[in-house]
Amino acid sequence: MSGDTPGVPNIPPPPWGNEQDNEPRGGSLGIGAVVGAVVLYAVYVLGTMAQGPYAWSVSFLAVPAPFIPIILYLAVAIAFAVRRRTSLWGAGLLIGLGAFILLGGGLCISFLVQVRA
Amino acid sequence: MIGLPFAGNALVHAGMVGLGIGAALLFYAYEKRRRALTDPRLWPIAGFAVAFGAIGSRVLTWDISRQVSLADWWGNGDRSILAGLVGAWFGVHLGKRLTGYKESTGDLLSPAVALAMVIGRVGCLLTELPGTPTGMAWGIVLTPAQAALTGAPAGVPLHPSFAYEIVFHLAAFALMWRFRDRLPHSGDLFICFVGAYAVFRFFVEFVRGNEVLWLGMSRPQLFLLAVLPLLAWRVRRVFSSPLRREMEGTAA
Repeated sequence: MSGDTPGVPNIPPPPWGNEQDNEPRGGSLGIGAVVGAVVLYAVYVLGTMAQGPYAWSVSFLAVPAPFIPIILYLAVAIAFAVRRRTSLWGAGLLIGLGAFILLGGGLCISFLVQVRA
Repeated sequence: MIGLPFAGNALVHAGMVGLGIGAALLFYAYEKRRRALTDPRLWPIAGFAVAFGAIGSRVLTWDISRQVSLADWWGNGDRSILAGLVGAWFGVHLGKRLTGYKESTGDLLSPAVALAMVIGRVGCLLTELPGTPTGMAWGIVLTPAQAALTGAPAGVPLHPSFAYEIVFHLAAFALMWRFRDRLPHSGDLFICFVGAYAVFRFFVEFVRGNEVLWLGMSRPQLFLLAVLPLLAWRVRRVFSSPLRREMEGTAA
């Protein structure tokens, strides 16, 4: 038996309060953004530099495979962002993803050009 | 005559975009604090805006008629700030829906967006095709090497269209700073900013040098032509509200 009051429906609390509050929430925005962007850079730079059957460089950006890490990352970041306890981590991961996509075109390609030169 | 010191330099462009995003997030934090908004959902919503703005800037420009796969387009295709703004708008709505946040966030975001555009467009000004030929003294003249990189004519003064945009966003930021607490409804600042930018961008496209698609207009202009009536209707509502209230007050 639980300690709940009989006859009173057991309604779970909403994930977010309805009113504005300043209660502490989980995670660190800055660390989330930096870690997220670094992880994405590592995945894509290492992926494009890889040799052999797992190399993206063979068919770089020609198949949907390069989107898989971003889609998985986005799903995890959204799951973190919508939960109160991990909302700042999630926000940071989302910002990290945005930074990676916006800056990736320049920084990643420049890096690869330097590596291959 | 002014040159183009970093023509085609992706690193400089990316650096300025990064600085712009950083400045926008700092301003967002400052404005959130100034307005005493402590709701923890506001940071995830900003995260949704940045992430989906970035995704939108690449995906929403995808031109199927060019027979290019999305993966190729993602890596090498066009990127557009207009598409980015549409993506960010979608991201904010998705974030608000998922977190259950009901209040308007546009007024909080729009000065930050203007600030990001001021800095980000400096990256465009230093690296991209500046604009169409002009006889004005402030035209940007490219060397043959720079012209080959950007696809522009060499030795001809070109409109610094990104400088025009920087001036617009500086002015917009200053106006939003001044009137940020004076408009009648929450969200009005955002509507005015987006409406003004849409009109400005439509006209500046005539000197941007983008590919002309139809009726002498570029792709961004055709997109803006479709959304401008909706924006005009929303802006009209902003400015008619206080007048309507005054009229109702007079009649009573």
